[in-house]
Amino acid sequence: MEAGGAGRRRQQVSQMEMFSYLIAAGLTTGALYALVALGLVVVFKATQVVNFAHGEMFMFGGFFAYSFHAMLGVPYVLSLFMAVACAFAIGIVTDRIAFRPLMRSQTLVSVLLAMVGLSFIFKGIARSAWGSSGHHIAFPPLISPEPIMFLGLMVMSQELVVMGAAVVVMVAFALFFKLTRAGKFMQATANNPKAATLVGIRVDRVYMYTFGVGAAVAGAAAVLMAPITLLSPDIGFVLFVKGFAAAVLGGLTSIPGAIAGGIVLGLLEKMAAGYIHTGLEEVSAFVVIMFAMVFLPTGLFGLRGVRRV
Amino acid sequence: MLEISHLNVWYGVTEVLRDVSFQVPSNGIVALLGGNGSGKTTILNALSGLVPPRAGSVKFEGREMAGWAPDRMVKAGIVQVPQGREVFSQMTVEENLELGAATRPGGRQIQADIDEIYSLFPRLKEKRTKRAGSLSGGEQQQVAIGRALMARPRLLLMDEPSVGLAPIIVEAMIETLVGLHARGLTMLIVEQNVGVAAAVAEDAHVLKDGAIAYSGRAKELINNPEVLASYLGR
Repeated sequence: MEAGGAGRRRQQVSQMEMFSYLIAAGLTTGALYALVALGLVVVFKATQVVNFAHGEMFMFGGFFAYSFHAMLGVPYVLSLFMAVACAFAIGIVTDRIAFRPLMRSQTLVSVLLAMVGLSFIFKGIARSAWGSSGHHIAFPPLISPEPIMFLGLMVMSQELVVMGAAVVVMVAFALFFKLTRAGKFMQATANNPKAATLVGIRVDRVYMYTFGVGAAVAGAAAVLMAPITLLSPDIGFVLFVKGFAAAVLGGLTSIPGAIAGGIVLGLLEKMAAGYIHTGLEEVSAFVVIMFAMVFLPTGLFGLRGVRRV
Repeated sequence: MLEISHLNVWYGVTEVLRDVSFQVPSNGIVALLGGNGSGKTTILNALSGLVPPRAGSVKFEGREMAGWAPDRMVKAGIVQVPQGREVFSQMTVEENLELGAATRPGGRQIQADIDEIYSLFPRLKEKRTKRAGSLSGGEQQQVAIGRALMARPRLLLMDEPSVGLAPIIVEAMIETLVGLHARGLTMLIVEQNVGVAAAVAEDAHVLKDGAIAYSGRAKELINNPEVLASYLGR
């Protein structure tokens, strides 16, 4: 009897541990998906274009951080800032190559195709720049990978750092839009491009910086995610799909929606993988996109506005 | 102050302005009248840098400005209040006003100018934290005018300021425009409502099919039965 009770208790404890592990892992990946979604949403709001090369901004962010930190020995935090700056520059290149020249011809389809093409070019560049070792590079861990108890949940200490940093990036992003002039110009352009032009805002320049900021946030997400995953030149598409699912779930034009969408997707993935089948982790994003399209066409927060993809 | 000579504008293969010439004197108010599609708004858009002229000259305070980009036009002092207000609907009233000063360096002076706009439109002060899209049509018109004034214009372009407003609101707006004129602001107003044009403008030009068909004193023009019948469809 006693042995049976202890066994049940052990089973309960291990179930509790597994649940807390899945919650912590879900929140961590969810926060990172939220960052990827934020970049997509900010570009979509301003330009009405889904940046299909957004995943590659993420991928580049990770590889740049790897080069600075693991190959050149730059401290992690400094390499984070450097990689974010590089991702920002790549976002600007995306605007100059695939958006600005084609938007003048006023055909959205050609812009989208150019974005898809650019994502393949970026992938090719990453393969040649980081060579054959570009397949599944392991980023050095930030801190001890040992699990700790936090608020009654068993979590990896590294996850806590990543989650905390993701929140810091989100707050910085929100403050940028709320408090800076550049952020206000971006909001104004997204809200009413004609009025923005008439007050003298250089709308084409705002679009360029919007692509830069979107890419910078994706780059930050990649640098945070790198120590808890593996990097590969193909990682971009996977992250694009996750970010897109989170953005669609959030309504595609809502910044709080993108954050909520990312967290929900992260939790769903881990729960599905933990309690149903690990294979479900990868398909969860597609299920979420389909569910949102059919049942929540205006997103989690029921925002107004037309969706043009 | 503004001298437009032989202005030609094309949209693709269509000529929308043909050889348009007129002047707006310093501290004057000039109205452009005409039916839909006569080219009135295109003149304002050419002056705001939204559409590049194919030929002709736009001289403002002695400087040739034809084909300048919109931000340069605003910096030079030509600011448009567009038709339908076009406020930043999802941003607050105060943010809308701040954005009006987008071409000016930021600083304390901007807040002082916002306070001046609030003294001109006290209703906006009460609603400073409300989203501009939640305001009534008349209040949105005040936001649009206030936003334009924040750029410190010397020439204000008003596109159909009375459209969609109740008669009582139109009267208040006319009072505002007359008050701004008294402060020394020069205006070019596009209107379909000839009553509004007559109430505020000194000179007027009637456009038909992209060309000026009739020019004269505003009050005389709108009492001219030939003009009313032939060009304004009355």
